[in-house]
Amino acid sequence: MKTGETLAVLADNWLPKSKATRVTWTAALAFSLLLIVLPWIVRLDGKPHADWQQFLGRFHPLAVHLPIALLLLVPLLEIVGVLRPALREAAGFVLGLAFVSCLGSLVLGFLLAYGGGSVGTTVSRHMAGGITLTIATMLCLLARPWWERNAVAYVYPALLACTLLALVWTAHQGGTLSHGSNYLTQYMPVGLKRWTGLEEAPAAGSFYAKHINPIFDSNCVACHGVGKVKGGLRLDSYDLVMKGGQDGVVIVAGQPEKSMLLTRITLPPGHKQFMPAEGKPPLSAEQIAWIKAWIEQGASPTATSMTGIDLHEQQAEPPLQPVGDYSALMPEIGQMDQAQGPKLKQLSSKPEDGLVLFTVDSAATFGDAQLKQFQKFAPYIVDAELGRTAVTNASFDTLKQFTHLRALHLEGTQITGDGLAKLPPLSQLTYINLSGTQVTAASVAPLSAMKNLRHIYLYNTPAQPPPPLPPDTPSAPAQPAAKSAAP
Amino acid sequence: MKQHPLCTDTEQASHVMDMAIPAEMKREWATLQTRRHFLGRSGKVLGWAAMASLLGGRALKGDTHGPAYGQQGAPGADQLKLPQFAPKAKRAIYLFMSGGPSQVDLWDYKPGLAALYDKDIPDSVRGAQQLTGMTAGQARFPIAPSHWAFKRYGQTGTFVSDLLPYTGRIADDLAIIKSTNTEAINHEPAIMLMNTGNMNAGKPCLGSWLAYGLGSMNDNLPTFMVLQTKLNTHENNQPVSSRLWSSGFLSSEYAGVGLRSAGDPVLYLTDPDGVDREVRRNMLDAVNEINRQTYRELGDPETNARISQYEMAYRMQTSVPELADLSKEPKSTWDLYGPDAKEPGTFAYNCLMARRLAERGVRFTQIYKRGWDMHDNVTVTLPIICGEVDRACYALVTDLKQRGLLDDTLVVWAGEFGRTVYSQGGLTPDNYGRDHHPRCYTTWMTGGGVRTGITYGETDEYSYNVVKDPVTVRDFNATLLHCLGIDHNKLSYNFQGLDQKLTGPTPASVVQGLLA
Repeated sequence: MKTGETLAVLADNWLPKSKATRVTWTAALAFSLLLIVLPWIVRLDGKPHADWQQFLGRFHPLAVHLPIALLLLVPLLEIVGVLRPALREAAGFVLGLAFVSCLGSLVLGFLLAYGGGSVGTTVSRHMAGGITLTIATMLCLLARPWWERNAVAYVYPALLACTLLALVWTAHQGGTLSHGSNYLTQYMPVGLKRWTGLEEAPAAGSFYAKHINPIFDSNCVACHGVGKVKGGLRLDSYDLVMKGGQDGVVIVAGQPEKSMLLTRITLPPGHKQFMPAEGKPPLSAEQIAWIKAWIEQGASPTATSMTGIDLHEQQAEPPLQPVGDYSALMPEIGQMDQAQGPKLKQLSSKPEDGLVLFTVDSAATFGDAQLKQFQKFAPYIVDAELGRTAVTNASFDTLKQFTHLRALHLEGTQITGDGLAKLPPLSQLTYINLSGTQVTAASVAPLSAMKNLRHIYLYNTPAQPPPPLPPDTPSAPAQPAAKSAAP
Repeated sequence: MKQHPLCTDTEQASHVMDMAIPAEMKREWATLQTRRHFLGRSGKVLGWAAMASLLGGRALKGDTHGPAYGQQGAPGADQLKLPQFAPKAKRAIYLFMSGGPSQVDLWDYKPGLAALYDKDIPDSVRGAQQLTGMTAGQARFPIAPSHWAFKRYGQTGTFVSDLLPYTGRIADDLAIIKSTNTEAINHEPAIMLMNTGNMNAGKPCLGSWLAYGLGSMNDNLPTFMVLQTKLNTHENNQPVSSRLWSSGFLSSEYAGVGLRSAGDPVLYLTDPDGVDREVRRNMLDAVNEINRQTYRELGDPETNARISQYEMAYRMQTSVPELADLSKEPKSTWDLYGPDAKEPGTFAYNCLMARRLAERGVRFTQIYKRGWDMHDNVTVTLPIICGEVDRACYALVTDLKQRGLLDDTLVVWAGEFGRTVYSQGGLTPDNYGRDHHPRCYTTWMTGGGVRTGITYGETDEYSYNVVKDPVTVRDFNATLLHCLGIDHNKLSYNFQGLDQKLTGPTPASVVQGLLA
């Protein structure tokens, strides 16, 4: 059919032939206009309204699935209807049902947004989508008879296609509202992410960007973000977090006990004011700890680490570096094992994991000279247990040759710290224990240059006086006892 | 070949004719003893004999561990190739809370129970569970909410009962497992299961497996030591006995060595008057020579175990007095552990001793604390026992941490089961009792290899059933072994035709969520 003819037929159909058709179209037009201006009539003001509205509104997420399913069924029935005409007949009925359910969902959606006090661009988009979808469904319903009579071939299929696109878009907005803007990509397999180019650049280095913002992102911004702004609070950027909501600020830097955000997330679950609300999963203890430490230590947007917070990613020890082949020395190691005195044992059944030097059997007589005898084993020893032995500062000359050393125990020895400066070339060292020695703050200073050295123990040394005595009663916890209504 | 005490093979088999069976059956049996039977059986014997010589003598004895006889000690780490991978923890301290601590009153915070006071626990929650004889006859099972409030502790905001104010302070350092569960409902099988991986006596315990698999770090002290806590007469003390630290079918060298809670830590360790060190040495050399003769004659590896134990005792004559001498402990130690630690045999003293043993390279220390079995009078008894345990646990973990020992020491706190949320006997606003509860109980661990600052697993609102991440005793033990560098499937010993394991034949899995 040529375009000119199409237009002629369309015009022929367009001009109402009967009074009934004219009434139908006028009503549809008026109804569409009403729907379009509805957002301006019922303005979302961000405040919760009547409880009954919220009660009914909560059924919106349930009800929306009805028009979704019905609308998806319509094209299917139309296509399969080529083979079985009865199914095509059913399509008209299903479409009608879809329109009614669309309308119902729209009403419930309005009640949810208005009654629950939701505002934001995603809410607006979702609403616009819902209205468009309802109108489009209605037009489909009106255009379908032409198509059935073979009067106009393309209008109805085109309208139906548009309706389905509107459906997808609206549903996506709805998904964003309930699960957050990253709900599609959050758990996407890494391979797929890379392929689709969605893999995010690593977050900026600050503790806020790396640890706090992601917590808010996946747990809070669905309701406190650009899409939905419950209680006037948005948590999707640092400035907005610090600005607070309609009840005032939620983060008081340095004062976790005055920070409403922390209070609300640490209430007992089930409390009326507990966050995240609406039965969403509570934050993990670890996440709460991070938020608390971050507030306590100034709620800074730029600080990169928080004292007292061991991040597991930072805890990961560097992988074991395989030591060389010491099989030629095995007979000697075996002899030591049979005798009393210092021993070398394999760290594990894999020889390349290295050797552990045990001296506890003969600690009192194990001095610098004895240590020197282990020089030939130096590159294979990964753990030197020299606690409470007679070694002195002179031992560092031998120890600096232990190139694969990961752990060095010198607790309770005569070490004073002179010579610790010889250790930095030991790049594998992650642990040093100097407890109960006479090392001073100045003598341990060279250790700070060792980037893999993350466990330094200075208990009971001049470098670190013993900790203050524990109080007799436990320190006041962050939250008062949450036991309520005890029998 | 080593004979286990429980094995009865050596007893004279009673003859059929002497058995208390009908005479008719005896006659029938006698007629079956025909020439044909005799020849048939003789043939089989010849076949077996031929097969045995083909396989070699060792296979016949069920010995697969190489030429260990005659050497000092039995097969150990070298033959087993342990640890299989670089361990996070070199040693472990196991605080065993015998009797079954109440998870509802200590760890498993259930604020919702307050509203259910004296209501019956729904049948759907209990299911078809078989109860103990102590409460099975009860007409109703009224819910007894915890008498104590809970507070949040640490940066993790972990809820801990007011009964454990000190332990609460180390909540950030613990991995608290709320979903531990067991199959046994009474003390004896449950405690055996927890300690040896099997409800029946006769299997080696965790400490023995470690001593066998990993060997010693200090030849002057036993590899596996056991510290018992003095009894408190206020408490219902279920017995704890040496079968819990038995080496089972492993060599007796690997059994736990107990330190006494009063007087000399080890009996007869000091030389009597007039016997000096040299005389003792000469005497031991002579005794050892006689023992070696015995070994050559009989070939019983237990003789070698005896020789090495004599030698160990000789070395312990100097190492134990140094170990037990607390006079050099600084004041800060006593401030940390509290005044109880000065009295030998208290739990606090034992915790301090465990730290000293860890410093001295003892592979495994197990402390037993009895008295958690509170069937009644919980509100009076529980604070007493918590008072004994709470500060000491805190002190031990804190002390290990500040001294840099927690990095390579695994610390475990566990009982054999939990206690019921419903009251045993009468429930009053002031008091209640709690029966044994195997379906969920709370344990914790910390130290080398453990992911700390977490709570693992969840129970339902009644603290009755596990609803998330259950941890069986097998999984629990497999996880402990993993922290020490051992694959629980590969630490095995061939006995009675099976590769025996701590985790038993049922598949067990390491709980990855508990690992750092």
